[in-house]
Amino acid sequence: MDTADAAIAAAPLPTAKTVRDRTNLAVQAWRFTAINLRMVKMIRKGHG
Amino acid sequence: MARVVVLGAGISGHTASLHLRRRLGKEHEVVVVSPNSKWNWIPSNIWVGVGKMTTEQVTFPLAPIYRRQHITFHQALAVAIHPEGDDAHTSPYVDITYTDPARSGQHGELTYDYLINATGPKLNFAATPGLGPDGHTVSVCTPGHAVAAAAQLGDVIARLRAGQRQTLVVGVGHGTCTCEGAAFEYAFNVEHELRQAGVRDLADVVYLTNEFALGDFGVGGMTFTQQGFQTTSKLWTESLFRERGVRAILQAHVERVEPGLIHYEQLDGTRNTLAFDFAMLLPPFRGADMTAFDAAGQDITATMFAPSGFMKVDADYTPKPYAQWRAGDWPATYQVPGYPNVFGVGIAFAPPHQISEPHTSPHGTLIAPAPPRTGMPSGMMGKAVALTITDRVRQGAQAHAHTASMATMGAACVASAGTGVRTGTAAAMTMYPVVPDFERYPATGRNAADTYGEIGLSGHWLKALLHYLFIYKAKARPGWFLIPE
Repeated sequence: MDTADAAIAAAPLPTAKTVRDRTNLAVQAWRFTAINLRMVKMIRKGHG
Repeated sequence: MARVVVLGAGISGHTASLHLRRRLGKEHEVVVVSPNSKWNWIPSNIWVGVGKMTTEQVTFPLAPIYRRQHITFHQALAVAIHPEGDDAHTSPYVDITYTDPARSGQHGELTYDYLINATGPKLNFAATPGLGPDGHTVSVCTPGHAVAAAAQLGDVIARLRAGQRQTLVVGVGHGTCTCEGAAFEYAFNVEHELRQAGVRDLADVVYLTNEFALGDFGVGGMTFTQQGFQTTSKLWTESLFRERGVRAILQAHVERVEPGLIHYEQLDGTRNTLAFDFAMLLPPFRGADMTAFDAAGQDITATMFAPSGFMKVDADYTPKPYAQWRAGDWPATYQVPGYPNVFGVGIAFAPPHQISEPHTSPHGTLIAPAPPRTGMPSGMMGKAVALTITDRVRQGAQAHAHTASMATMGAACVASAGTGVRTGTAAAMTMYPVVPDFERYPATGRNAADTYGEIGLSGHWLKALLHYLFIYKAKARPGWFLIPE
């Protein structure tokens, strides 16, 4: 069964900018804050 | 005076015992029984398995923490529950066998007023011949397993440096395994290490899984909203596999493992083999194999436990087709029917059914990821039961039970895809609720605003932060209770 490899081969690749942004310290510092806020919101909902 | 006995000192049991001790007066006793002398932050075993952390960084001895907290600790294995007592005991009690080197093999009995079963999983390598550290594959389930995996990975990297082509297989070793997220993490950490070592071009990395599609993770996959479009965790995960050049074999049940060769069946009934030089395959889980007896000494194990060895709690275990599964089937109070002073939490409770849709091959082989019960839900269950017991000790048995259903709680999952302060990557995901509720959220079963995924270095920082934060919390350092589960 090679459907998995076919699906992987057809999956979209990130753009060069997206790949750069994933390790850009300024962008990631912002994303770190944003993800933490998102998780805190979700945790509060779950603990409520 | 009440005595609360907690079986297990993993995330759920340890969380429960710390909250019990904090909330119950000194006249009440909190007793922990665990066969292990150390607490382990299991999510970081992935990093031990690639040689980036030591066992000392992911574990700490339990005894000093419990001594400081005035919690009685028995390093022992719970073997039987007598929830009604018997002729010789007016109170319910548990049989234990000590694993503490000073008393190894000695038998003991502990009476209780309240019992929490948080014994976690038994690693069932025996379900697949040849699987596991005693067979032909490695594991990252325990720190010791992970150290052995890192050593084997080092040998593979040395052979790659010598110019030998190598095949590395990472995944799950049975059709009913859980924790696909951990296998995913280890696959991408291994791939990351191969790139860091400059030997990636000679290595074939294969992810072998029982998931129906990539991105399922045992929770039926997720739907994310990104830049005005809905996308699936399937497409998102496939993109990462393409980007990193990792192959995948889906819908697989590993039948047996021989030296260097995995035999597996796929959902379409085909039987195949996969040659490997390195294989980390997670085992399926079972319950802790405890037995139970009523007041007359009759075996009631089948009443208290499912055939899988997990404890039956307040779930709806009525067998029914997938289309009739409901979020309301899932337990909320974790109270054992018929025994309101006994609770099963964390991995120890029996789920009513899978979260991902189960499938069966033409040969009748069940290929169905079991429901994952990660740290966050396990901790929340432990805390909810601790609050219930605290209220009942203070107010009486009529006090209302606190709830923590996986169908009404969310989970944060950070899947590492490589370590390094500047070079690390992780997929940070949140989902709400863990168990899809198609009555509340007809489109996808989950709240779109709270179900989210993102890949980047910040996810690695978050996973590293969680490592230090939860070890701090587990050590019951000042203000530990302010850190949410």
